[in-house]
Amino acid sequence: MTEYSHVEMIAFTGSRVLEDETIVFVGTGLPIVSAVHAQYTHAPGLLMIYEAGSLAPILDMGMPLSVGDTRAARRATFLKGLCGAFELTQRGYADYAFIGGAQIDMYGNVCSTLQGEEYGKPRVRFPGSGGAGAMAANCERTIAIMALEKRRFVKQLDFVTSIGFGDGSPDYREKAGVMGSGPYRVITNQALFGFDEETRRMKLLEVKPGVTPEDVQELVEFELIIPDDVKEMAEPTEEDLRLLREIDSEGYFLKRQFKK
Amino acid sequence: MKKVGSDIRKISKIRYQEKVPEYWGPTPDEARKIMVKKSKALKDKRTSLKEAVQKHVKDGINLGIGGFVNTRVPFAAVREVVRHGARNLTLSFQSNSICVELLAGAMILDPDRVSIKRAEFAWWGYEIIGIAPLLRYLTTNGLIEVDDYTNYGMSVRFKAAAMGIPFIPVRDHGGSDMELVNKGQMVECPYTGRNTYLLPACHPDVGLVHVSAADQNGNSRIFGALCTCPEIAMASTYTIVTAERIIPEENIRNFPNLTEVPHPAVDSLVERSYGAYPGACYGFHWFDMEHIKMFRAAGEDFRMTGDKTMLKKYYDEYVFGCEDYDDFLEKVSYKTLSKVNKLDGGQPIILT
Repeated sequence: MTEYSHVEMIAFTGSRVLEDETIVFVGTGLPIVSAVHAQYTHAPGLLMIYEAGSLAPILDMGMPLSVGDTRAARRATFLKGLCGAFELTQRGYADYAFIGGAQIDMYGNVCSTLQGEEYGKPRVRFPGSGGAGAMAANCERTIAIMALEKRRFVKQLDFVTSIGFGDGSPDYREKAGVMGSGPYRVITNQALFGFDEETRRMKLLEVKPGVTPEDVQELVEFELIIPDDVKEMAEPTEEDLRLLREIDSEGYFLKRQFKK
Repeated sequence: MKKVGSDIRKISKIRYQEKVPEYWGPTPDEARKIMVKKSKALKDKRTSLKEAVQKHVKDGINLGIGGFVNTRVPFAAVREVVRHGARNLTLSFQSNSICVELLAGAMILDPDRVSIKRAEFAWWGYEIIGIAPLLRYLTTNGLIEVDDYTNYGMSVRFKAAAMGIPFIPVRDHGGSDMELVNKGQMVECPYTGRNTYLLPACHPDVGLVHVSAADQNGNSRIFGALCTCPEIAMASTYTIVTAERIIPEENIRNFPNLTEVPHPAVDSLVERSYGAYPGACYGFHWFDMEHIKMFRAAGEDFRMTGDKTMLKKYYDEYVFGCEDYDDFLEKVSYKTLSKVNKLDGGQPIILT
């Protein structure tokens, strides 16, 4: 078995959760690697929306380094602006959204705006919502990508940037006026999570070989739902790794390391 | 319409001051009045960047900035704003990198020349290259007021302004803390009875947009993603367009469907090749990662050490040390420009 990195595991798992003949609204980086891998393997009819305005481009100049990159506009089938891209999601054309963030809570709400408790004077300011807030609101299903760390899987967010299931009440998203059905998967280097239909709380679905559900709970501040039938995460084959490394041939995203 | 809350309070830890609904820039009525007074003639609007900025950019304005992160950003125009000087600016944009950081750095070096009072935006950073250090510095020290929206939210606020309406309903922001901290409002939709979020239109006093091509009257074509440039150009009360190429009016008339910004929306037009450099411009050049990294490193050095030397060196060399943009491009070097041209890969555009 070829060695693979945490980041490669995330990209591979991202590919695995995407279905054929759907549209995924991708964020910069791993979501693009995942989606292209899915196109090469089990989902040839998968298409991507990039938020600066393109639908179904062909990435023949290599990986776009931004969702606004001119590389991401190349040979698209439809090319407008941000309004055009997001209106597709509002209307129901985007099945999946891939978002990242600094913190996530048990209901799949995500923070990517700041750390600290004072909006006007944060301890750390992040770049802000970008497209994530709108993607989590209006793409049908939201997939979050995050490193599995206690400081990220928190009981209470500093700031809710992207809506998940809110406080978990059944009508939260409806009251919020958003259209999508909400959090679907959370992909990390060591575990794959879903959400319990009844309580809308984060639920452990799969763990990396060699990792136990207890290990995962240790890295999460809130209490996870851990069913009896937690599966092992599939590992990328040599062919998967070759494909992933070819897709990000310059290594901009796959060669990144998690901060210790 | 009935104003409603979506009961989202207390999910997060954030403390905030509720904002009074107000326009940070002209109101829709003021913007309309200014537009009505203008000549709509098809006339030659070409001028120099210096004259365009001198004419329109004043202290206290809301400055709208086009492009998206590192793509088709109006860098030449912003650089000229820094040279000209403008205090107490409000910045409005969806996502940007070096343009807003250049203004932020200018404020850190000399707030009597350039200062930002507040900013409304969705994202401010460099994507793969890293987080924006100067935004971090300004916000964590409480030196600027910010107003957070999503990329769709900011884009559609310009769109509402371009449409001449005071607000626009959207299906995002609701249920997140942005609902609490920005100037939008949750209402009950009079047709469906469902909660819907309203965002106020955003009219910049001056919009800066770089386009692929324009005729002398300002009719503009854009290739690649439009970002939010047509909306920003049409939302602004005065718009400065820099164009990679000036093309004959006849070419515009041959393909009127390709016009993304109509001439009455353009007040000053500047032919400025590489006007988006070090950002990318589809069909012409890719972005210059090295130049952006160099500028970001200067900002990060200041944030980490408090020492302004590196930052000042960049401005002395690339902003104040060059009389015009050609001087700047000469410092960048032919070799670099040639390299970024090749990285675009010759994407097809229509100029004739």
